[in-house]
Amino acid sequence: MTAAARPESALRLMVRDLQKAYGPTQALAGLTLDITGGEFLGVAGPNGAGKSTLMRMISGEEEPDSGEMVLNGATWSPARSETRVPVVHQEAMLFPDLTVAENLLVGGRGNGLARRPVPGPAHYDILRSLGITRDADRELGECSLVVRQLTEIARALAHATDAQIFLFDEPNSALTEEESAELFARMRALSDAGNIVILVSHRLNELAHVADRVIVVRDGLLGADLSGEALTEERLAREMVMGETAPVPESVSRRSGVRILQDDSALTVRAWRHSGGSFEVEELAVRAREIVAVVGVEGSGGREFVRSLAGLEEATGETSLPRRSLQPTSYLPADRGESLFGDFDVGRSLVARLGRGRIAGVGGLLKRRTMARLGERYMQEFRVRAASVAQPIGDLSGGNQQKVAIASALAERPDVLLLEEPTRGVDVGSKVEIYRILRTFTDHGGSVVAYCTEIPEVFELADRAVVMARGRITGELNVTDHGDIGSLAEAVAQHSGGATSALESAAGVDASRGRA
Amino acid sequence: MNGRQADEGTTYPPELGERRRPAFAVRNPRVIGLLIAIFLVGMSFSIVNPNFLTVRNMLGMVRAMSSLGLLALGLTLVIIVGELDLSIGAIYGFTAMLAGTVWIDGVHVVPALLIGLGAGVFVGFLNAALTTWAGIPSFIVTLGMLNAVEGMTLLISGARGINPKYAEPPVPAGEWDIFRALGATKLPLDIPVQVVWLAGLAVLFWVLLHRTLFGFRLAAIGSNPPAARAARLSITRHKFIVFMLGGAMAAAAGMLDFSFLGSTDPSAGRSLLFPVFAAVIVGGATLTGGRATIIGTIVGALLLSVLSNGLSIIGVGAFAKSIFIGTATIGAVMLDRFTYRKRARPGQAP
Repeated sequence: MTAAARPESALRLMVRDLQKAYGPTQALAGLTLDITGGEFLGVAGPNGAGKSTLMRMISGEEEPDSGEMVLNGATWSPARSETRVPVVHQEAMLFPDLTVAENLLVGGRGNGLARRPVPGPAHYDILRSLGITRDADRELGECSLVVRQLTEIARALAHATDAQIFLFDEPNSALTEEESAELFARMRALSDAGNIVILVSHRLNELAHVADRVIVVRDGLLGADLSGEALTEERLAREMVMGETAPVPESVSRRSGVRILQDDSALTVRAWRHSGGSFEVEELAVRAREIVAVVGVEGSGGREFVRSLAGLEEATGETSLPRRSLQPTSYLPADRGESLFGDFDVGRSLVARLGRGRIAGVGGLLKRRTMARLGERYMQEFRVRAASVAQPIGDLSGGNQQKVAIASALAERPDVLLLEEPTRGVDVGSKVEIYRILRTFTDHGGSVVAYCTEIPEVFELADRAVVMARGRITGELNVTDHGDIGSLAEAVAQHSGGATSALESAAGVDASRGRA
Repeated sequence: MNGRQADEGTTYPPELGERRRPAFAVRNPRVIGLLIAIFLVGMSFSIVNPNFLTVRNMLGMVRAMSSLGLLALGLTLVIIVGELDLSIGAIYGFTAMLAGTVWIDGVHVVPALLIGLGAGVFVGFLNAALTTWAGIPSFIVTLGMLNAVEGMTLLISGARGINPKYAEPPVPAGEWDIFRALGATKLPLDIPVQVVWLAGLAVLFWVLLHRTLFGFRLAAIGSNPPAARAARLSITRHKFIVFMLGGAMAAAAGMLDFSFLGSTDPSAGRSLLFPVFAAVIVGGATLTGGRATIIGTIVGALLLSVLSNGLSIIGVGAFAKSIFIGTATIGAVMLDRFTYRKRARPGQAP
């Protein structure tokens, strides 16, 4: 590839053999990538594959251990460069009490004694170029999410008028379809002006529709580079999980020999509607001894749906569950910062959810020896690797913390265990153990409903996958029908598609697809 | 499900040897540090003025510490659950004034004191209701309550102090004796009865916080409210109980001091807010919740009393004393920050 391939733009960013390690984790393992001006590049990849790290390198938030970046032929270090690389995040990092225009001023030159600065014509020009002039003097907190995100771009432009590279990190996970389309049109305008626009997203259908080219980052390397005809949602789904092999060839779910009884229902909801409008589920029946994965990207309503089953999100409809009862469900959030008690040691964490009759007796007095014994027992049973039950919970590895969290929920002896992303941020060894723990639980009569975002997890864990998109169940599939992760990924992608009409009709998106 | 219950019966395997400890061994490094500090401070004071280290002064000091200690016990529970109560000093003054006023108005002393106690619990109830049901931060709720309750005190007293024995008409002598017996009795060895109140309630609170399911859950809720919600612990109920207990303890402290002194005035309790918070914080509680111990609080209260008493005895004057105690409190927390490493908390890897 030579520079002449893109005569209309001189801008060219070359990423050469980028490496970055965080402790023992190799986040980037020598990634190489070429991007040219005018290009709308999509970046996909499973969690922890290194795409966020790559973005932090390009934006200059962090520096690589080795490797280099070359911008227009010269070695370039964004952290030390004059030109900033604007990043638009999922949650706009701005000042909600200032007006849109005033937000552009924050961080500008001046000192604390100067008069309160006032936005000038240059600032309004930037807002005009992004189409948000009419919101310029409204307080940002009152504006829609799109305006907030566009303000972030505007702010970046105000500080770096010569910015040529723009990063968007999951910018639209909280936006509606129409709002997303509008944002993508603005992004397309930026790339049409000769800039490099990079979009990181979990929504494969969007990436396939709006980007010229999509790269898949896997294990810190460039796993795939798709454009033109090859760029389809199914292909992306398959590339995302390429190389993923089942770590437990034997003991996965359906091979355990326990049959799921068809009519043995553990939990049923009908016409189940979120009060906040995040989902509307016609029917879901979870059988005893079954692990159901609710699969969907952020914003699909899947997370809220699972939380609603735990009584933590308001929802109405028919349910076989008594509302807010202690039994028969236990719930565990994805983030261990929200599932574990940081001041507790391992032993106390394991029994933290238990109540009278289990760890306390007459007058609510704690049965301390029972607590200690239960702690020891759960620590062994769930293979928690800790020096002793007296070790502070924060000292354990993520995988062992998660085992403690799951053990503490299972200690409640629920009929149905509700989970979010049960193996997020967990090492492979612990993953296998967690799948085993959950399978043992269902083998003994329990059921599991897990919100999952990663296909390999669904493949390893679940008997059945319920695909959610835009707040509705768009498909159900038997995980057993799929022999490998790739085929499951394609099937899920097919079921979650079909919700892209607004994207396809969005002005400026289709028209410019031809350039890819 | 009952079948599985059996394995948690009441017979246990013997405890592991390494975990056997004497029941009252102090293993909290914070408490050890505080005890050393108390010893050193006490030594210094007694060198400057030998009157410090006399039985008489020591007894007077722990007597004076008792109301501080009672308030601090209540505040400890509020703080471990992750809330604040700034109104306890105001409740202290208000309940004493209320009980005294209705007593002088002809109510028998026992119901009068119960009315005082009930008023303290009721203010705690209001604090809890506004904090939990209305969702207003407890800092604001109790700051407002502090003012409102002080206003009530001034209103019912007409901004004047009361002395039931010399009131018009004076309270019956029999009732006066009952009243004085509560807070002014001298037990054998000249031990003031208030010290016994403090010791008894400290043991009770220690059991409550460290040996009951209630205390265990208070620590869990304060440590991580979202996790407590996910585990479906009854956060609201626990907060109601601690605020009401806090109010009750403030009322008890106020009325016991009233009993000891024989009189009370509208400004009673105003100067207590700082030392109470200081005692709890110096005792090792974190204002964000989740960590606090009863023994720490008691030892913290002791340190503050020693400082306060010693500084008075060596005669530095009220202003210098105030400056010194304020600085020492900040210093104690700072020392803590530097000595202990920050504990890792569970969460996502970066």
